[in-house]
Amino acid sequence: MNTKRAPFNFFKWIQSGKVNRRLCMVTFMLTPLLLLLVFTYIPFVKMFQFSFYDMKYIGERKFVGLKNYSEVFSRKDCFQALKLSGYYIAASFVQLGIALWFASVLSFRVKGGSLYKGFLFFPYLVCGIAVGFIFKFFYTRGFVLDTVLQWIGFDLQSLPYWLKDKKINNISITATSVWRYTGQNMVLFIGAIMSVDSTLYEAAAIDGATGWNKFRYIILPSIKTIIVLNMILSITGSLSVFEPPYVITGGEFGTGTYFVIMNKLAHESQKVGLASAMAIVLFVLILVATLLQKAGEWYFLGVGDREPIRTIRRQKRIVKQAEEGGR
Amino acid sequence: MRVRYGKRLLAIVLAGTLTASLAACNKKVESRADKADIAVTFDQIKLGEHKDLKANLKFLTHKTDIVDTTFKEYVSEFQKMYPNISIEYEGITNYANDITTRLTTGDWGDICMIPVTVDKNELKNYFVTFGNLDEMSKEYTMLFNYSYDNKVYGLPSMGNTQGIVYNKRIFEEAGVKEIPKTPDEFLDALSKIKEHTDAIPLYTNFAAGWTMTAWDAYIDACATGQADFAHEGRVKGKNPFADRGDQTGPYAVYNLLYEAVSRGLTEEDPTTTDWEGSKARLNKGEIACMALGSWSIAQMKAAAEHGDDVAYMPFPISVNGKQYTSVSPDYNYGINCNSSADNQLAAMLYVKWLIDKSGFEVSQGGIPIKVNAQLPDFLKDFDGVGLLYDLPTPAGEETLGNDVNNESELGVNVSGGLAKAVVEAAINGQPGMKELAAEWDEKWTAAQEKCGITH
Repeated sequence: MNTKRAPFNFFKWIQSGKVNRRLCMVTFMLTPLLLLLVFTYIPFVKMFQFSFYDMKYIGERKFVGLKNYSEVFSRKDCFQALKLSGYYIAASFVQLGIALWFASVLSFRVKGGSLYKGFLFFPYLVCGIAVGFIFKFFYTRGFVLDTVLQWIGFDLQSLPYWLKDKKINNISITATSVWRYTGQNMVLFIGAIMSVDSTLYEAAAIDGATGWNKFRYIILPSIKTIIVLNMILSITGSLSVFEPPYVITGGEFGTGTYFVIMNKLAHESQKVGLASAMAIVLFVLILVATLLQKAGEWYFLGVGDREPIRTIRRQKRIVKQAEEGGR
Repeated sequence: MRVRYGKRLLAIVLAGTLTASLAACNKKVESRADKADIAVTFDQIKLGEHKDLKANLKFLTHKTDIVDTTFKEYVSEFQKMYPNISIEYEGITNYANDITTRLTTGDWGDICMIPVTVDKNELKNYFVTFGNLDEMSKEYTMLFNYSYDNKVYGLPSMGNTQGIVYNKRIFEEAGVKEIPKTPDEFLDALSKIKEHTDAIPLYTNFAAGWTMTAWDAYIDACATGQADFAHEGRVKGKNPFADRGDQTGPYAVYNLLYEAVSRGLTEEDPTTTDWEGSKARLNKGEIACMALGSWSIAQMKAAAEHGDDVAYMPFPISVNGKQYTSVSPDYNYGINCNSSADNQLAAMLYVKWLIDKSGFEVSQGGIPIKVNAQLPDFLKDFDGVGLLYDLPTPAGEETLGNDVNNESELGVNVSGGLAKAVVEAAINGQPGMKELAAEWDEKWTAAQEKCGITH
């Protein structure tokens, strides 16, 4: 048998379909992977490393093991600050509700629909720092908000100080993030609603379904994955709020969230190790929160075509009971 | 199969980054103490020498307001003497934070304003020596902040004194005839202003944040009359924030702010104050006074058309009947020890020019750092006020102040956190000033103990 192979030709080899395809994939992926590596993974690994050191930005570093972590858990202010996330989580549900309502209205032919979509989406495009400054003036005594409220008959004396009054300032600040992110949620919802087969609506209309029926039995089941995704994004976002309180109030008057406190420790007191440990703890918390939500999704809603675990178990129980009864 | 391959690849990549980053870290830990300093020192160097020197310098500055105006003029003026040296200014808005991060890279430029986050024992790893402290003290003052081991690493761009910037016209209209000398007199004056004029008596500039650090600057020499209080009294002393009972010391400073806020003598909503706008409002008489260092005078005068109404008074605390004010350096120039020898020389020439020839400190209303230089005009109103210059910290204790401050997280002179806490407490009505001071002393004492200070 003649087993002599053709001499190895590099150009031929590189042009051959399989290698060429792989090469293409790698080259295209190189840039995003590099960016991801340089700006996400390497900093993360470094931060993880920092969390075991007693260190400042400038100067010697001392390895202290888990001391920073034990300090995160023994300090009062760290987890106290996480309570503020409650405001943002509550706000995120309001935000999802508004977004869903607008999305289900705007998905169908509405006069000037694109214009409304544009207006609603616009705030998301504004840089977070700018949003902060806009709202700082918006809430200033006697400025925009107060003026508008006076037009509709409120008395300036009876209005609160939006950012000073501790009862209300966290709500004022969360309102800014609702304003900013509603549009983005809405666009995601619209995309999902658009992908629903339109014949379903026609069939439903023939059967005499009302608007609410269509929403409840066609739209909601079809976009539940997107709703869950938006919820996960909103809740993880709520745990790590930084920009609004940092820019608007600087975290004063009881508005300092976990991230604001972390920033203060790292930059004002130069406790970089402790702040890194705080970041890792929050990372784990977010991971746990996401997993819990995912588990909830599997159990109650089902993923993709799979039935929810709750339903599967119920069916099994029924089958079992039927078998036992038949014996 | 393919999945496993991908996973293995990912594992390799991650492991690679891990080792690479660890390796990178180890390299950084190496000391840079062996860096050679340039041969010439600041007191030997003469403007006009090295005329054919070629260099491109990068200058990092916090003065974003004059990067495109005054500094440009300086550069073209300097280039008349040194045509081959070009200087590029970069203004950084969030200077205090950003510069610290950038310094760690070593490759940030040639000249910067040294941030307070660099401890004295670290100076040699980042900056060039300007010369011997003993030698340089013959010609310049205020060199102690960034000197270590008898070597000078930073030269102040100018000096500041501490006091209250106020609108003369409003004080007169309110019937305040004498400049207040004690906290009580000052609060009386503020009440009169509230009663008789439409101006806001005392504007806190709470929202800007950094403006609140001005209050920390009063608590040492101004409030005690001791030039060494900052180190001996505050850093090393026992319970420095406690009430002394005679309207002096740190407590009296913060208590003044507490009383002013709780009596309604400040703006109604501190969370929405506007720093840029406040300058013109003081100038026009809508604000009667603000607590800021002397650097602010020039800006207040220039903000609107009534510059002549803007005046400066010493902080209203008297120790045994005499008022004091501290004279301390503003930001210091520092030259990168990682720059090339030519760049270092060029940078040194430019800094020399800035200090000796530019007139920067006069235009900014600061005190020149040259020995026996003429003091700025506003100090004429400081008749009979003791000028206390900063003293050097004893050898071996150079980093103690920063260490205790960081450990306690009080952020004295860094964050303005104490003054902010005072405003917040005064608005809420609790905790009282005594409880606040007790809380600070507790934190301070714990930090002192960690840093090895026992009483």
